[in-house]
Order: sequence, then structure tokens, then C-alpha cells
Amino acid sequence: MRISVRRTGGFAGIERYGEVDTAGRPDDGEWRALARQAVAAGRGAPPAGVPDGFAYRITVDDETVYCADPHLTGEQRELISRVLKEGA
Amino acid sequence: MTTHGGFEPVFCTVVPPHILDRLARNDDPALSGPAHRTLVRDSELRGRRRVTTEFALAPAPAAKAPSDQPLRTIYDAGHGTALPGTEVRREGGEPGRDATVNRAYAGLGATFDLFLKAYGRHSIDGDGLPLDATVHYDEDYNNAFWNGEQMVFGDGDGEIFLDFTLPIDVIGHELTHGVTQYTANLTYYGQPGALNESMSDVFGSLIKQYSLGQTAAEADWLIGAGLLAERVTGVALRSMKEPGSAYDDDVLGKDPQPATMDDYVRTGRDNGGVHINSGIPNHAFYLAATQLGGHAWERAGQIWYDVLTGGELRPQALFADFAGLTVKAARARYGDGGDEHEAVRKAWEQVGVRTL
Repeated sequence: MRISVRRTGGFAGIERYGEVDTAGRPDDGEWRALARQAVAAGRGAPPAGVPDGFAYRITVDDETVYCADPHLTGEQRELISRVLKEGA
Repeated sequence: MTTHGGFEPVFCTVVPPHILDRLARNDDPALSGPAHRTLVRDSELRGRRRVTTEFALAPAPAAKAPSDQPLRTIYDAGHGTALPGTEVRREGGEPGRDATVNRAYAGLGATFDLFLKAYGRHSIDGDGLPLDATVHYDEDYNNAFWNGEQMVFGDGDGEIFLDFTLPIDVIGHELTHGVTQYTANLTYYGQPGALNESMSDVFGSLIKQYSLGQTAAEADWLIGAGLLAERVTGVALRSMKEPGSAYDDDVLGKDPQPATMDDYVRTGRDNGGVHINSGIPNHAFYLAATQLGGHAWERAGQIWYDVLTGGELRPQALFADFAGLTVKAARARYGDGGDEHEAVRKAWEQVGVRTL
């Protein structure tokens, strides 16, 4: 499973991107479950953001969803954090 | 700048938009969506404000003049994301051990002061709105934002960004988003979005200048000075004096801000480049203020404030609309052909924005 996260906006206006391929990883199942939950709670188009808030695009294989601070689910927050950290 | 051991530039964690564009990951099917979402957000915010206003006005038997004192409350999110968090200091309370809380409290006060003493505005909404801020939001959170009701500050990750309460202009920047929301309500996308960002940079910088008692010549005209961690090559996040010069770093990339319309950046990223093209109106303000000299909040700031709050600035205003209104406001307040009128007109000409 390929998971990518693009973060835009923020006070600094500086973009971040991360990508993880979970195939063959011992924690593949955990990633899959997390990604499924994060995508299920995402939107098909960028949702209403707030000034200087981060906006996120999450792509899991060929499915893309959007979400924005401060309205993230716990799973979205964790997935974003892990992908930007590990897949950067 | 040192190289980061084992660091692969291609996979770097923080990448500026122009590099990412080259990485060809911009096959985004929904770039046209942001305009729509902004409209939805604006209508949501307007609806919420109307409801709040009616609710607040109903029980009041007589209109009471808003206080000349701020009503501040600082909350601590404890590195979580639930807002507002635990109350840690309220108006009149003594400073505590947490420097972040104390800085947020002082910054809210400095912002309240500038708007009241320079422009006679009572708080963000002009009607004494209580000022709430949450600090220690999330973990290693590299951001600060205004959520429509309150300010939120992260601690930074210590690697790239430090605590977002450190620069007083960042605090002023976020609160000015509130002032804009209650006045011109500039749409947060494209040129009106860049104007919205520029308003926050202009008044954020003026709050710093006012609190330090600086003249336009003495000010650094930087946004976010003191926010970058030591290893980052840069002085701040933006420069109004010289847009595009704030940082040039192997991890952050280079400051992408243009100073004039010749270098205007067309992009769908960052809400249509709101933090990029704001460099143009930012620089126009710097030029007008330094041409006039003295305290920038007095004449240049007054003209910008007149336009932001005057009722003629539309939510969808473009740079030229805004520029034209500042020339008109300068003439109205200080006279036709006066120094102020000339300085403002010339400033826009220098950044390539026509003011007909």
C-alpha cells in the first residue's frame, strides 16, 4: 500500500510531502487499518480551512481525500504525522 | 550551513512549492475546489457570527460601551488538540512560570493596545470581544492559526521552528486575521487571500513597532524574526522590506515571495499562493511607510486601517481594488496631493499595481 501526504498552507506557507510504501513491512497491517480509517473520514474536495491552518491531501494507492486543521480525526492526525515523519 | 548527516535532498521533509512543482506531483484534480470551499467557509462564519451577535444582544437592556481594557484568557492544550484546553491565566492574573503563557498574554495585550490607541478599535470585533488563546497545541506543532474564534499556538519542533509565541508580530498576525474576518472579510484564496495575509503581516509588524516605539526607519520589517531554529539559514519567514530575502536554506528552500507584479506567482497551492504574493502589498506598505517616515502606524497604518474597516473593500477585492482604495483614503484623510497621497500612489506604482 502506497500512502502519501502533502501538507500545504500554515503561517510559514511552506509545503511538506511524505510517502510510505508499506508492502513487505512487518507493520503493513497496522498501516492499512490506519489508512483505511483516515481515508474514510476524508473529503472528496478540500474542506473549509482556517487562516494559516494546515491543509492536507492524503493519497492511498489511487484514492485521494482531503482534510484540514483543526478538524482532523485522531486517525488522520496519526497517519499524517507518521507519513510526514517516516516517509519524508 | 552544515549538511545533515544522511539527509537526502530529494526526500526532504520540508520542501518549498516551486521544488515540489518540479517533482511533478501536482496532478491534483481539485485545485478549482478551494474557491468554492472558501465561499462555504465565509458563509459559515457569517452565519455563526450573526447567531452569536443576536444571542449576545438579546439580554442586554442597554448598549454598554466596550471597555478600554482587554479581556484575555490563555489556555494550555497540554500538547493535545482539544480546544480550548485548560485555563491557565485570565485577565489580571499574575505571570506564571510558563514563559509561553506569559508571552501569549503580553502579545494579546500589545495587539489590543495598538488597535485601541492608534485606531480607537475595541478588540478584534470593535466591540470588546474577549481574546482567547491556546498554547502548547499538539506535539512539535510547527504552526499558529486563528480558528475563527481564538488563536492557537504550537511549540515548534525545535529543529526548524521554535515556539510560535516568541515573535510578537506572529501573535499580532493571527489576531489581525480576526479583525479582517469582522471587517472586510477578505476571501482566503488568490489575490483577496494574499491581501488578507498582507493585512496580518502589516498590522503584525505595526504591533511590534508600536510596542518597541520604533520609527519606520528603525523597524526591521521582518515577519517571524526569532522563530527559526539556529540551524536554519534565515532571519525570519518574510521580509516586507525585501520580499524573497528572509531565508535561503537547504531544508526550507528559498523564500518565494515576490516584491512586484513582474514576479507574481500563479499557483493553486497554499490557497492560491496567499503566503507568497502577499509580498507585493507588503512591500507597497513598506515603501509608503518609509517614504512618509516617523511612526508607521500613524499615517500609513491609518490609511490601511481606513480601507480595511471602511466598508468599501469587497471580500473578493484584487490588489488593484485595494490599491485604489488606499489612494482614495489617503486623499480623503490627508488631502489631495499631500505627502500621504503621493507616497501611497508612488508605492503602488513601484510594485507594479495600477491605481486608477
